[in-house]
Parts: sequence; structure tokens; C-alpha cells
Amino acid sequence: MSERQHTIFLDGEEVPFRDGETVYEVSERHRREVPTLCYDPRLEAFGACRLCVVEVEGLRNPVASCTTKATAGMRVNTRTDVLEAHRKTLLELVASESRAAAEAPAGAVPGTVDPLRGYASQELATLASRYEVSGERFAGAKSGHSKGADDDNPFILRDYDLCISCYRCVRVCAEREGDYAISVANRGFHTQITTEFDSKLSDSSCTFCGQCVQTCPTGALADKKALRKVDVPGELQKTRTICPYCGVGCSVDIVTKGEEIVAVQPAMDGPANEGALCIKGQFAWDHVQHGDRLKTPFVRGEDGELRPASWDEALDRAAAGFRKAYAEHGAHAIYAIASGRAPHESAYTVQKFIRAGFGTNYIDNCSRA
Amino acid sequence: MSRTVATDAEILARWKEEPAPLLPLLHAFHDRDGFLSESSIRGVAETLRIPLADLYGTITFYHFFRTFPPGKAAPRVCDGPVCKTRGADALLAALEKDGATPMPCAGRCDEPVPVLIGDTQFVGAADGSLVERETPRPAPRPDGGEECVFAHVRDPARRGIDGYLATVGYAGLRRAFCEWTPERTLEEIDASGLAGRGGAGFPTGRKWRAVAEAAGGPKTIVCNADEGEPGCFKDRVLMDHDPHATLEGMAIAARATGATRGFIYLRYEYPHTQAILENAIAEAEAHGYLGADVLGSGQEFRVYVRRGAGAYICGEETSLLNSLEGKHPFPRNRPPFPVTHGFEDTPTAVNNVETLCSVGPIVARGADWYRGLGYRGEGHGDHAGTKLVSLSGDVQRPGNYEVPIGLPLGTLIHDWAGGPREGRTVQAVTMAGLSGGFLAGDALDVTLDEPSIRAHGSFLGAAGIMVFDDSRNMVEVAAQAMSFFAHESCGKCFPCRIGTQRLTERLTGAAGPADLDAWTAEVADIGRTMKATSACGLGMAAPLVAESLVRRFASQVAAHVGEAGERGGERA
Ligand SMILES: Cc1cc2nc3c(=O)[nH]c(=O)nc-3n(C[C@H](O)[C@H](O)[C@H](O)COP(=O)(O)O)c2cc1C
Ligand code: SF4
Ligand code: SF4
Ligand code: SF4
Ligand code: FES
Repeated sequence: MSERQHTIFLDGEEVPFRDGETVYEVSERHRREVPTLCYDPRLEAFGACRLCVVEVEGLRNPVASCTTKATAGMRVNTRTDVLEAHRKTLLELVASESRAAAEAPAGAVPGTVDPLRGYASQELATLASRYEVSGERFAGAKSGHSKGADDDNPFILRDYDLCISCYRCVRVCAEREGDYAISVANRGFHTQITTEFDSKLSDSSCTFCGQCVQTCPTGALADKKALRKVDVPGELQKTRTICPYCGVGCSVDIVTKGEEIVAVQPAMDGPANEGALCIKGQFAWDHVQHGDRLKTPFVRGEDGELRPASWDEALDRAAAGFRKAYAEHGAHAIYAIASGRAPHESAYTVQKFIRAGFGTNYIDNCSRA
Repeated sequence: MSRTVATDAEILARWKEEPAPLLPLLHAFHDRDGFLSESSIRGVAETLRIPLADLYGTITFYHFFRTFPPGKAAPRVCDGPVCKTRGADALLAALEKDGATPMPCAGRCDEPVPVLIGDTQFVGAADGSLVERETPRPAPRPDGGEECVFAHVRDPARRGIDGYLATVGYAGLRRAFCEWTPERTLEEIDASGLAGRGGAGFPTGRKWRAVAEAAGGPKTIVCNADEGEPGCFKDRVLMDHDPHATLEGMAIAARATGATRGFIYLRYEYPHTQAILENAIAEAEAHGYLGADVLGSGQEFRVYVRRGAGAYICGEETSLLNSLEGKHPFPRNRPPFPVTHGFEDTPTAVNNVETLCSVGPIVARGADWYRGLGYRGEGHGDHAGTKLVSLSGDVQRPGNYEVPIGLPLGTLIHDWAGGPREGRTVQAVTMAGLSGGFLAGDALDVTLDEPSIRAHGSFLGAAGIMVFDDSRNMVEVAAQAMSFFAHESCGKCFPCRIGTQRLTERLTGAAGPADLDAWTAEVADIGRTMKATSACGLGMAAPLVAESLVRRFASQVAAHVGEAGERGGERA
């Protein structure tokens, strides 16, 4: 126990910190609930929203806790009346520039958007409610221009009327996805998220991974596939699973209303992906509930045409085929490939069936990426 | 036309291996084509390995880069606070047929109205006439007192190296490289009391020492010649008429810190200055004052000029460094500071032109001499050294003045500059260009030093002072000032990005409460939060304009809110 433990004083309480930790990280660990909007723990701290400001004894102005490293003996206050007043003013300012926030009906919380827009889409509304933000103060021009029909890609809605210029989307695209597809155009109140030459996402280097959507704290970037399901009745429920498409094993939450899948969202705490997905894991789930899916087995008749059959008939036919192949050519003549669009349970069953049933390891999966 | 036009490949090859290549590359294409075409942007992105979206966004940040014609050929007319009172609007209308658009204060408030066409700066009049003229030289110091940086600036020979050497030029450099140790130079600068003349007033000796002691390299000296603060035009006269003084200061800084490369980050609006500086660099290299082995000392020091592209925030040192590096010019989070992590993360001293110009004389003549130049009037304390003041607006003799620090403001305005125009009185002055807001009434009794001005809730900063007489509507002046800050806010942090916009709307009457108490409360709340939480000096200072207006011109504000309220039906 000879190693010296460094501490800071957090609202008067002496707490330890690790080398390199920011004041915000220490505060989080001690449940101070310091508000943030531009913060995403996976990204380099940026210091845009200034909501995370704290008072540090000896400094004249408050500092952004997200960009301030803890140093031994520092005395920090995270929630004084003055700080809370600044936070409320900042939230009222940011509410005043957003279409959704400024045009919220009387009594509604400014910034309210449908949670199907994306994982983090409720952050602004949640803070607006916590700080009892009025949508009327600081009225004036709105910032940002939604793309609407100008970007008709099937996945991502670019509804920049709601954008509050936190640049989480730009930073996640650069720092996590490495695609650098989007950036900041113009300056000041006229900043706008853009692509190269203000093109459509499909003409940019975007891979439609959806990470920008899921980190957006306002729903300005939204999941178009999920938005089709806004009117489906029922409460949102999330079920944790692993994306079946490839071998990385990204954790996802299947979002459902009743029996219906309405969205897929990445698990921010997924050990393999930490909130990242690819275009398939993020957006390619329509097949699950697609009307064209087969609902009964089919067998081929003498005439070579497929016709509906009962399960017993279909299984008998399959078994006969396997038996014949096994008898004539041996176990290694049998080879199974499972689909990445099938559930994990099916994939497991297929390999078990081939290995234990026939004694061969000739199995594969289309998502062996 | 016998001159051949450079091809894309030639331009790219010319700059590819140079330090800080993005800005000169973009300028090369902008100069050749008059705007930045998609294919040239793609070429630059590929050559410098900058993601296209990133480069595109960065280009749109700069006021003067255009991605479509007529681009560079269209006139830009200054509509800064002084030019507004000198016919800028009429001039803009007269030039509208040529596609003229306004530009923020272009640093010629002593001789309004500057107009930029291509790479030429003209002086325009309300009737649309344009003349090309050299930067005015300052008038002789009215009280005959001794000067530091202006001592030889009126000598026409001083721009060339022979004239510079004839007036004890490079004596400080010679001493720093051939007689003194770096430590000795640092001690002398410490003892002189020299502090940053670019606005923040950080002690120069301490900054250099931090760079000298920092690990890593190559170390860098950056001369901040962005001079974007409205009402400031002092660095311009120093560079135009005494360019070697800046180079000498940079080289001494290099000797004291161990730096081997230097950049001059020059504001776009001073196009002629680039040639003057580059010529001076060539002369200094030929004489061994710059280059691979300065005066046989074994130390290399090379200086490169890089021209900005129209962004006030690029005068903020960390934004400047990002701009030099070709990144999006948002200010950086600090710490770490540039003294340890500056240009390309190397230890860097960023210094203002005036600061650097003071260094040569200090080393040549000693710290005591420099300190002794401060104001010694009756009842005044121990003020060290001098400060350039750019005085403009409603005074008889606008211009640059080198004042002893601590000189009463009234002496400068009334005795040195002839006071207000005939039959007028001084209603208000700005401080620190615009960043210090307004002083008026009793506060006009300040002396020109930080403690005195800070006691009135303002600051001297880079010492641009604009005078507004009793014929001016101060709410209008404040609205123009705030719209400047809104135009120049980089957009990184919420309080400034939205706050400057909301304050502008309230000062112009475009939006905001019609009730005076509600109006005042909104303006105060926005200002308080901007001052306390903004990420850089722009957002911290901008609310001073509104705050000082409300404090000192309450009745003009009440009238404005009343009138705006009556028009309220039209408002969004
Ligand atoms: C918004 C803003 C604009 C600035 N513009 C300039 C400028 O144009 N020139 C300058 O020398 N310093 C400017 N500064 C100050 C620089 O950040 C920096 O303090 C200065 O260049 C350091 O040099 P000095 O210590 O010699 O003054 C600006 C600061 C801010 C916050
Ligand atoms: S979907 Fe992915 S690649 Fe496309 S802009 Fe968003 S984060 Fe970047
Ligand atoms: S689109 Fe969303 S994530 Fe991107 S800057 Fe705007 S609010 Fe932030
Ligand atoms: S205060 Fe203004 S200029 Fe400075 S970082 Fe914030 S938005 Fe940019
Ligand atoms: S979380 Fe620190 S500034 Fe936004």
C-alpha cells in the first residue's frame, strides 16, 4: 500500500482519481450527474456544449469538466446555484435554435422527438425537462437546414432543423468509423453538418454505419427505417442479442413494439463493438418481417416445379436425400452452409446436426467475415 | 499574355513538401482561377491527404475563399464600425454592379473606406472612387517623447535592410546571437516588463522561458500578424514600413528559445504586406540574419509567411495554429498550451507583431531604457514601456500613436489627436478594438494601462480605440459590433455560437422581448453565461459590448426596445 493515491475534493468529498482522468470522469464515477450534450465517452472530449462546466477553487471562470484533467488536491464544485443557472441558460439558448424545441406545443418539453430516431435522441429533451427549460426564452432565428428530399438515401434522415452543432456525428465518423464522411461547414450560427461538396451521403465516403445517427443527442440524424414504425402502437422494448451477420459479434438491441421489430440499435456497452455497427447490422432487418418470406415448406414435384408441402413430407424428402448421399459417398460428401440472416439458434442447430449427425466438420456460414 | 499559367500538378508539386502547405496551396489555386474549383479541391485533398469533407468544410470557414466565380475578382468593401460612419454603405451600393460584398473591418480605420479587389487594397470614397495608397505613416509623436517601436518607422529608408542597419537595426539580434546566452536574453526580456501586445498581455519573457524549457522540437516561433480586431491597424504600419523589426524580434525569440523555424501568419486583408515581408526575409537571409546559420552561431532559423483567408478567430493563437496546420480552425482546448504543444505539437511561442518589434530595441538598449518609456506623469505609478494605440473614428487626427503606458486617455484624444470634430463632444470610445466594449462618461478619465481600464470593467487589449461623438446612435454601433462577433464566432461552443446571434437580434431589434425588463434580463443572462462559459476569448469578450451599452446608455436602450416593440408585429 505504499503507492500514493491522488485525490480531489468533489463537492467537499475527498475522492481518488486515476492518472489522466478528467474531472468529468471522476464526477461520473461518483454519480454527480453533470449534464452534457456534446459528450460521448467513446470520443475525445471536445468542449462544445459547456454544460459540464464546474467551479474549480482558485480559478476565476468555471471550466469544462470534460476537457479538464483532475490534478491532486483540486477542489471542485459540480452543482452550485451559479452553475445551474448557466446550465439552464445554455439549454434555453440551444432550445431556441432548434425547430423541435422552439415549436414545441405549450406545456410540452422542448426538444421532444420520437425515441425511434436514435439511441441518444432523447438527451436534449431529458435535460430540458430536468432544467424546466422554457421554449420561449431567447426567441430568434433557427439554425440548420434539413435535407429532406435532397438526400433520398433509404437509411439516414438528415433533419438538421433539429441540429444543435455538437459535432458528435462528425467526430464519431472520424474517430470511430474512420470514414471522415461528414464535416462542419460555415461558422458561427450558420454552421451546418455537410459532406464533401454538400453532396448526398450516398455520393460521399459514408458507409451508412449509422453511428452518427445513434450518437446524435437531438434526433437531427434519424433512422429512417425505424421512423416507418412510429405509428405502430405499443411501448418500446429492447432485447439484447448479438448481430448474426458476421464473426465480429457486435452486441445489438432489437427494439420491438409488441410482436413487431421496429428498430435495431447498437449496444453502447457491447464489448466487441462499443456502439458501432455496419450497414447490415444497423439497417438490414426488414427480411425478418417481410411479406415475401416462405411460411410453409416446399418440395419439388416430378415435373420439377416447387409445390407447398407439409413439414412431415418435406422432412422425409430431406432425410431421404441425406441418407442417399451418405450411403453412396460417405460423410464428407455432406456440406452445410447456414445463412447470416437466420437466428443464432438455427446456426447452432445446423452445425450440431452436421457434426453429430453425420460426423463431418464440413460446415460454414455466409457471415464468416 | 506571355506568362504561362501554372498547371494543377505544378502548383501541387510547388507546395507539397513545404511546411504549413494548405493555405498557400489554396491561395495558389484561388489566385490562378479566382475561386476554388471542385477539381482543385480534390487535388489538394489527395496531395495533402486531407479527407475531402474535412477540406471542403474548412474552406467554407474562411470568408475570402469562394467555391464559385466571380470569387476573388469581386470587390470587398469594409463595413466596419468606423467605415459605416464614413460612407461604406454608399460605396458598397456604388460598387454593387461589380458584385461587391461587405467585409468586416479591414484594418484601415485611419483612412476609410478600404476596398479589396483581387490582391490590391484601395481607399474608397462614398461616390465609388478608388485610389491605391501606401499605408499611412504615423504622425510624429505630439509631445516629442521618446518612442520604441515607432522610433524609425517614419524613415522611408527603413523598409530596406540598408536603411534598417543604418538606424541600429539588427543590433539586438547581433547581441543575442553573438554576445549573450539565451538565458541572458530571457532575463533582459523579463526585466523589461514586456507583455503581449496582441491582447492577452501575457509576460513575454515567461512565455519564451516555457518554450525554452519545454521538451521536444523542432521549436517554432509564430508571429501573429492576423490583426483582425476591428479598430486595430498598428501591426500593419509596423510590417509595411519596418518589416525587419518583426524579423529581428522573431530571430531573437528563436535564439532565446532554441526555435529553428518561424511563421508569420498574415491577415488576408493586407495583400501588399506579404511581398514586403518576403522581400525583407530574402534580404535578411542574404545578410546572414536569417537562414541556415544565423551570423555563424550554428543556429538555423527560417521564416515563412502564411496568409490567412478571412477569419477573425484565426488571430486566437490556437485557432491560428490549427489554421497553419491545415485543420479546421476551431480553437483548441487548453491545457496543453502552445508553449508545449503548439505548431504540429511542438513547443511554440506565438507573439504579436508589436511585441516582437519591441524586442530588438529592448535587447539593444536594455530593459531599464524600455521600462523608462512608461508614463511618469504626476500621481501615476510605475508604468513600464509603451503601447501602440490605433485611434480612429470621430477625432480630428486619427492614426497610430505610440503612447507611454499609463498616459491619460483624455491626453491622447484631446491633446494628441485634436479632440472631436468641431462642435462635437466625445460620447463613447471602444476599448481593445471592440472586445472591450464601450467607455463613456466618468470612465473616459482612465489612463492607458490595464489596471486602470480593468477597474472600469473593460480592458486595453490590443488597444484599438474608436471614438464616437454625440451625433452617433450607440445602439446602432453596438448592433454592428455584435453582428461582427456573430459573423466571426467559429461555432465551436454553444454560448458564443448562439449567444452572439441572440444578442445581435436583440440589438438590431430583429427579435427579442418588447418589454424592457424582459429584454434587459435576457441580454444580461446571455452575457453572463457567455462570459463565464465560452471556450475562448471571443465569446468571453463579446458580451461586453452589450453589457457596457446597457450600463452606460440606458435611455438609448430603452428607446430602442420601445421602437423595436412597436415594430414587433412584423417580427418572427
Ligand atoms: C478572438 C481572438 C482574436 C485574437 N486576435 C489576435 C490578433 O489578431 N493578433 C494578435 O496578435 N493576437 C490576437 N489574439 C491574442 C492571441 O491569442 C495571443 O494571445 C497573442 O497572439 C499572443 O501574442 P502576445 O503575447 O505577443 O500578445 C486574439 C485572441 C482572441 C481570443
Ligand atoms: S453513417 Fe457512418 S460513415 Fe456515414 S456519416 Fe454516419 S458515421 Fe459516417
Ligand atoms: S446532427 Fe446531431 S450529432 Fe450532428 S451536430 Fe447536429 S445535433 Fe450533433
Ligand atoms: S467562444 Fe466563440 S469563437 Fe471561441 S470557441 Fe466558442 S464559438 Fe468559437
Ligand atoms: S460535455 Fe463538456 S463541453 Fe459538452
